[in-house]
Amino acid sequence: MNPTASQASIVSITNVTKDYTLGKVVVPALRGVDLEVHAGEFISIAGPSGSGKTTLLNLIGCVDTATGGVVRVAGQDTKQLTERQLTNLRLNTIGFIFQSFNLVQVLSVFQNVEFPLLLQRKLDKAQRRERVMQLLEQVGLASHAKHRPNELSGGQRQRVAVARALVTRPQLVLADEPTANLDSVTGQNIIDLMKELNQKEGTTFIFSTHDAKVMSHANAVVRLADGKFLDRISAAEASRVMAAGGH
Amino acid sequence: MGQLRLLLQVAFRNLFSSKINLLIGGIIFFGTLLVVVGGALMDSMDSAMSRSIIGSVAGHIQVYSDDSKDPLALYGSMSGEPDLAALDDFSQLKPFLEKHPNVKTVVPLGTSGAIITSGNTVDLTLSNLRELYKKRDEAGETPELRESIDSVKGHVRQMVNLMADQTARSEQELGGAQKDPAEVKALAQARTDAFWDAFEEDPYASLELLENRIAPQIPDGDMLELRYAGTDLDAFQRTFDRMEIVDGQPVPTGQRGMLLSKFFYEEFLKMKSALRLDHIKQERDLNQKTIATDPELQRWVKENQVQTREIIFQLDPVKTRKMVERLQKLLGSQEPALDTLLTQFFTTDDANFDTRYAQFYSELAPLLELYRLRMGDVLTITAFTRTGYMQSVNVKVYGTYQFKGLEKSAMAGALSLMDLMSFRDLYGYLTADKKAELAEIQQQSGLEALSRDEAEEALFGEASDNVLVAEATSTDVDDQAAFIGDQGALTRENLLQRVYTQQEIEQGVALSAAVMLKDPELLEQTMVELRQAAKDAGLKLRVVSWQEAAGIIGQFVLLGKMVLYFAVFIIFVVALVIINNAMMMATMQRVREVGTMRAIGAQRSFILGMVLVETLVLGLVFGAAGSLVGSGIMALLNSAGIPAGNEALYFFFSGPRLFPTLSASNLVAAFVIVLGVSAISTLYPAFLATRVSPLQAMQTDE
Repeated sequence: MNPTASQASIVSITNVTKDYTLGKVVVPALRGVDLEVHAGEFISIAGPSGSGKTTLLNLIGCVDTATGGVVRVAGQDTKQLTERQLTNLRLNTIGFIFQSFNLVQVLSVFQNVEFPLLLQRKLDKAQRRERVMQLLEQVGLASHAKHRPNELSGGQRQRVAVARALVTRPQLVLADEPTANLDSVTGQNIIDLMKELNQKEGTTFIFSTHDAKVMSHANAVVRLADGKFLDRISAAEASRVMAAGGH
Repeated sequence: MGQLRLLLQVAFRNLFSSKINLLIGGIIFFGTLLVVVGGALMDSMDSAMSRSIIGSVAGHIQVYSDDSKDPLALYGSMSGEPDLAALDDFSQLKPFLEKHPNVKTVVPLGTSGAIITSGNTVDLTLSNLRELYKKRDEAGETPELRESIDSVKGHVRQMVNLMADQTARSEQELGGAQKDPAEVKALAQARTDAFWDAFEEDPYASLELLENRIAPQIPDGDMLELRYAGTDLDAFQRTFDRMEIVDGQPVPTGQRGMLLSKFFYEEFLKMKSALRLDHIKQERDLNQKTIATDPELQRWVKENQVQTREIIFQLDPVKTRKMVERLQKLLGSQEPALDTLLTQFFTTDDANFDTRYAQFYSELAPLLELYRLRMGDVLTITAFTRTGYMQSVNVKVYGTYQFKGLEKSAMAGALSLMDLMSFRDLYGYLTADKKAELAEIQQQSGLEALSRDEAEEALFGEASDNVLVAEATSTDVDDQAAFIGDQGALTRENLLQRVYTQQEIEQGVALSAAVMLKDPELLEQTMVELRQAAKDAGLKLRVVSWQEAAGIIGQFVLLGKMVLYFAVFIIFVVALVIINNAMMMATMQRVREVGTMRAIGAQRSFILGMVLVETLVLGLVFGAAGSLVGSGIMALLNSAGIPAGNEALYFFFSGPRLFPTLSASNLVAAFVIVLGVSAISTLYPAFLATRVSPLQAMQTDE
């Protein structure tokens, strides 16, 4: 299921490096990574801890900037954008799903999902309501709209987070270890939900995981090791590699 | 709209979500409470005191001469009487001030101090006897007069005996202290029957011996310092609504006379034993002190037990007998000695005090003169004039008065009132009477007024045929006639009866003018306009507000305010620091939430708004709660009143109870301050919050 050339590239990463400075020591997290992601893909980033998965996702998500190389998201070179423009890019183009759900505790499920729409200021109240309820319907939590996050289970919370990530109809959704805090069945359900939305809405998903089962749902698995691009393999291949215990 | 609603919703829901917010809320709550209650109390005290001060002597504005060395201090200052230049003619100043549309009334004033001597009991009794003899000489003897004379004579004789006994006793105890032999001799002489048998032969000579030799041996006569304000008494009473006559009557219109301050009358002219009883009662009733626990009350009881002489000296033989009988009955005792009985009677404790107090006033007081001065008595006031010589003036005391709200204040309550004529005499400025008298003397003595330039020439010049050696005249000089003269003596007698016209009262010296305004709100503006008008008219005047004019008392008010404001300031600085710290902690706690918001597209401005709105909501909610509770407390205090537990508070409350009121301005001030403080203390935490990186959202829970 390789993407065809006609599909637009939504993420384009060229020779990207990222160094962290810890005191006086410079720790390279990424050492020249290249990656193309096309619209509609459902990609998993795999690799052991410290291989640079999170760093790569942060760069794509415009919450961090690269030390070297070019990161293009939706055709824009993120280095050329101001803080304000980056924020707008995150708001309008990217959806985030976090490992620990990161819902606003004092807001209801409905308000959490509505939050990005309020930041956007594009829709009126009725439109927002329709959009939010539609998403909650899709994640199966329409009946929980008035609940507070602490009244929900982990899986339900992550589904709220998924709804929040998708409510602005972003071109790209990033998810860093979305199933890490969930049991395997619930995690499976979340991945299924993401996959379903990917297929229905055509939203591009990039998620990191080191769970082989989760990986197996991806169109492709991008493997990182020691901050370097290792290879890009199919999910089936990845399963085999994982089963063999190698990289 | 939606965003703001969301912010408010987040803010409201966060209110009770964290303990830190509750801490901040608590601080804001108590801060507001303090500002509301403290502010309202202070304002109430301020207005109560302002009312007392404005309504007593100060008026809204005081005007005095710009040539004065010291600032005006109506209630005196730390360094004594201020050195003021006089306003030469009040009648010129009055219309000038009254021209201003906001001026209601103008009252002339002059405050000063003098010494009065309240003679000791022997003195008073002797002068009483002298009067009786004088009356006899003038009108002839009647049986009633004879009886009075004998009674007073008996009284004097008893006193002499008492004195001799006491002298003998103290000599025994102290082993014969140094005593003037002349005094001892005089005392011995006055005890003899021969002295009293011969008394009638030359009563004045006998009186003289007693007055000059015996009376000075008793040291209980006081030199009292009297502060007084000379004023147009009628205008004063009309203008100052806080003034009320307590005993006696007002000074008749246009006449010379005095109204003593009730405070002064009680504290300095009342019999000490009675005064101490009053003090004990007040401390017990007002301040809930007990004789058993309070050393001061114990001291007063002790003094009353020991210092019975003031009472004993007052009594003539008849009254002494009556007093002994009454005390024996009250105490159920057979004791014959009055001093022992009195000591027993004044041995009071918490159990019997109230009974003894009541008994003193119902049974004993009718036999006593409780005050050394009665209404209608003439008081001799001696003062140093401006030019440095001593001047004595006799003034009739018509009554006592007090200023409502200041009656217990030693400083403000001690000001006695006097007519302007007597004041001018004492102050050393020439009244019309004086001028006339002086002119008469001048004419009689054939003095000529010489100008200074001519004086030298006239006295020492070559052309002068004056003999420079003074020639002593050898003719007999009738002192009486020359210095007082029949006419002069008559004038003096008549001065007390004379009725002055309003014009006479106003034409002459005053030290300041108290100005009452129609609209007190325009105080500042009126002051500015009066200053300008004085400048335009070429008058050298100082125009000051009542607060400034009240001197040390006005500064009390200011000081009280400053202390409160300073306390509020400190509290809010502390609150600022605590809120700031708490908000920092709260922000740190919410780093992931803020990071998440930033990650999913919230701009920094949104985060800033969020933190500020939250603090504002916090401030409003807890501030409103604090205001509400504060208003409740004030409503409670307003209906119940706060009792003034001691004399200092009595002054600040301007009365026995303060009924504080809450004004809208107190609430507004509290709200503005609270919101200001919370906004300021949130600025830095809010700034920090905007610096939170969206990366923080990615961090997992620990």
